[in-house]
Amino acid sequence: MRAFLARHWYAYAMVLPVVVVVGALVLLPLAQGLYFTFTNINEATIANPVLDRPASYEFVGLDNYVNVLTGGESYGAFWSTLGRTLIWTFGCVLAHYAIGLGLALLLNRRMRFRGLYRVLLILPWAVPPFISVFAWRYLFNSQFGIINQALGALGLPTPVWLGQSDLALFSVMVINTWLGVPFMMVTLLGGLQSIPRELYEAAEMDGASAWQRFRDITLPGLRSVSSTVVLLGVIWTFNLFHVIFLSTGQNPHTRILVTYSFERFFSGASRDYAVASTYGVLILSLLLVFVTIYRRAMRRQGEVW
Amino acid sequence: MSVDAAALQTARTGAGAAAPTAARRGRRSRLASVGLHAALVTASFVAVFPIFWVLVTSFKPDARAVSPTPRLVDESSVDNYVDVLSGARGDFLAWFGNSVTIAGLTTLLGVFVSSTTAYAVSRFRFPGRRGLMLTFLVMQMFPFAVLIVPLYNILLALGLQGRSLGLVLVYCTTAVPFCTYMLKGYFDTVPTDIDEAGRVDGLSPFGVFWRLVLPLARPGLAVTAFYSFITAWGEVAFASAFLSAADGSKTLSVGLQVFIQQNRTEWGHLAAASVLVALPAVAVFYLVQRFLVGGLADGAAKG
Amino acid sequence: MAEVAYVNASRVFPGTPPVRAVDNLELSVADGEFLVLVGPSGSGKSTALRMLAGLEDVDEGAITIGGKDVTNTPPKGRDIAMVFQSYALYPHMTVAENMGFALKLRGVPKAQIREKVAEAARMLDLTKYLDRKPKALSGGQRQRVAMGRAIVREPSVFLMDEPLSNLDAKLRVETRANIAALQQRLGTTTIYVTHDQVEAMTMGHRVAVLKDGVLQQCASPRELYDRPANAFVASFIGSPAMNLKTVPLTAEGARLDGLVVPLSRAALDGAAAEGLSEVTFGVRPESLRLASADEDGMEMTVELVEELGADAYVYGSVRIGEHPERFIVRVDGRTPPAFGQQVKVTLRDADEVHLFHPETGLRLSA
Repeated sequence: MRAFLARHWYAYAMVLPVVVVVGALVLLPLAQGLYFTFTNINEATIANPVLDRPASYEFVGLDNYVNVLTGGESYGAFWSTLGRTLIWTFGCVLAHYAIGLGLALLLNRRMRFRGLYRVLLILPWAVPPFISVFAWRYLFNSQFGIINQALGALGLPTPVWLGQSDLALFSVMVINTWLGVPFMMVTLLGGLQSIPRELYEAAEMDGASAWQRFRDITLPGLRSVSSTVVLLGVIWTFNLFHVIFLSTGQNPHTRILVTYSFERFFSGASRDYAVASTYGVLILSLLLVFVTIYRRAMRRQGEVW
Repeated sequence: MSVDAAALQTARTGAGAAAPTAARRGRRSRLASVGLHAALVTASFVAVFPIFWVLVTSFKPDARAVSPTPRLVDESSVDNYVDVLSGARGDFLAWFGNSVTIAGLTTLLGVFVSSTTAYAVSRFRFPGRRGLMLTFLVMQMFPFAVLIVPLYNILLALGLQGRSLGLVLVYCTTAVPFCTYMLKGYFDTVPTDIDEAGRVDGLSPFGVFWRLVLPLARPGLAVTAFYSFITAWGEVAFASAFLSAADGSKTLSVGLQVFIQQNRTEWGHLAAASVLVALPAVAVFYLVQRFLVGGLADGAAKG
Repeated sequence: MAEVAYVNASRVFPGTPPVRAVDNLELSVADGEFLVLVGPSGSGKSTALRMLAGLEDVDEGAITIGGKDVTNTPPKGRDIAMVFQSYALYPHMTVAENMGFALKLRGVPKAQIREKVAEAARMLDLTKYLDRKPKALSGGQRQRVAMGRAIVREPSVFLMDEPLSNLDAKLRVETRANIAALQQRLGTTTIYVTHDQVEAMTMGHRVAVLKDGVLQQCASPRELYDRPANAFVASFIGSPAMNLKTVPLTAEGARLDGLVVPLSRAALDGAAAEGLSEVTFGVRPESLRLASADEDGMEMTVELVEELGADAYVYGSVRIGEHPERFIVRVDGRTPPAFGQQVKVTLRDADEVHLFHPETGLRLSA
């Protein structure tokens, strides 16, 4: 034991602050949140120190899970919401990746104004998201938004972008794509720059065309960066609530799992913490399954991490 | 701005790229060149326009901001800014100060703890290392704000509820996993020979971290700082839950909600306030942007 | 100034099975000695050096510096300085700061640091570059800064881990001489790791040959060359390598194709005592010569001639038993045989042969 500590004590000293904070502010709440999913806790039954009211919530077993998973409308129509969540997540990540890669490839060439382009293209990342969302709501506004003004001037239909229709889902995906591309672009650009030039030169010697060089050198060279950012992208997007919440508020057409969890949490007189936590746990479980499969697939392709 | 970044780019790609033969070989046809620039100009326009339009709107009175025929300049003045800054609509300057304090502390603390953790994970093979990294991955999967009730209880028990420090700690937990991943990737690129030379020169493991590795990882730290800052600067849900409701202790993102009322949004004022909020973030961004490209990829590649 | 000793020191890397990177190393280095650790890659030479530096654990045994047991002392308590293969210069410090860093950590007054750095810089011809960052230096200059960083500290032991392997060939030869001269002048105990046997032979007072973590032989360069303790050392030291062939024994000596090399009575008796019918027979290229037509000799077909100016090395194949075996012969550079030519090869001097046990590889001849 002494030898063990002597060898590792500085490593443990260095991770200690994080472990303490994470333990207190993540694992403990997580455990408590998990417990809530087996109770009927809500605004009426939670302990309220201001009113000096003790907690009166009770253990209800798996009721919350049963209610949610049977897919009732009053519990957020779990399955159809899940479907929408998948469309949202994979749609956004695909758009982020495709556009980000495209722009990174363009920016990876030597040309004039390259630095300027790069700064401008990363800018959406620098602006706090609630302001970006505000900006887009302003652009998308059906009456005075500049997008509809332009469409109207061209004689095209001027739809209600963020209204009560599936168009709203498309619109928030556009907004989120705009928000998320810079991160992908910057990361992939860094990945592109780390591919040794000699590989391209060797491929050119071997007579590879531009497309072949892209397919056989660029894409494999980006694989480790790509696999990480796509994984993070999926996790983040799956759990991204503020873009949807700030754009459309509580709109069943843009409802994904995490926003419904927030709906139950924040709104209505009841503030149903139990159902909100149940959604949280379900989200965590789904992502854990996804990550496990993803990592296994990556490892099978020879990725080691 | 562009010159600076472009110069850096050349430095990064190295001497090979600057060789004259490569330049000649790499020359594009005129058409390809036009296409390249056209694509980038379009993309830049899309990236910048929403922000630009907020800037334009911020000078318009609320009534003109919703005019059905938008124009670039429409009775524009700085009245909105005067209103917002004078505190007529809530104590904007106090909000601003709170936000700066909280985001600043989050950045400082977040960068510090994630860098020590990242260093330990990058250099030492201690039992529990994998578990720690996996915990960080899992931490990103849970909708954090659903933890508000348990977090509220814990902060209350720690006496941190309603205090800035409590919020700072919560923000740190959200920023630390990603920052640690990134910094670990960055530290991995610093050769361990440097650490060993430092040990032989008389440094303790902490000394090596503090005097050699941290200074060498400055670009990575810059990116991490940027990320922590942005995370804390624009956050709404925790800020409204964990800070006292008094107007003077709100952060910007919470305070700004006064400009959004149920049926009538004060677009002009909101725009002006938004510009004021965005400015510090953009400033921080500008300071670190030249490090972003290398930093993120190093982190992600080795994460 | 201090002597250094490895006392049955081992480093075992965990794994299945565990790897004994350094196995029971027993080695002492005298005060002021220049000792070279040499071996092929993976021989454990760098690990042995890093154990001495305190960068690698000592799992068994002990290490002493100046008579003091430092087995569990952290690097900073060992009064050593190290030159790394990559130089490991601190990129964010100038040359002067790099060289003075260790002194600064020890709290030496600034003026004194400046003085010592200036002195070392003069010695290494670095005075002009003191304010530069390592990035702005050439490979040779960086190497000298790394040396300077070690010198400034005036440690009791210098450790050098392949410090020349990143230099080009010409600079390497030049720096080799400079390091040896510097060590002579400073008189500091030095342990020097290299994979290059020429470096080992030219620089070391003594050379320790390692293979698979085990010390094979530690002796002066001359001794190592003339009396290698086993077949591995024989083949590793010397360039081109010694001709080593397993050949049958006869009553008179070792039988090669068309040539019986007479062996000393002692050697034959030794082999007989072991019950050997074969021996590993070693002869250096310079101990062979081309024979005239009327002499006995091995028939060799010339396959390659390497002309080095003064000498030429002839590579050719000789039939030993059923198999063609490659032999290397040093010949006069002015009259080398041509490719494809049949030549006869014989020994210059029957004493210049080495005999090793065909299985254990240990030296047989006295």
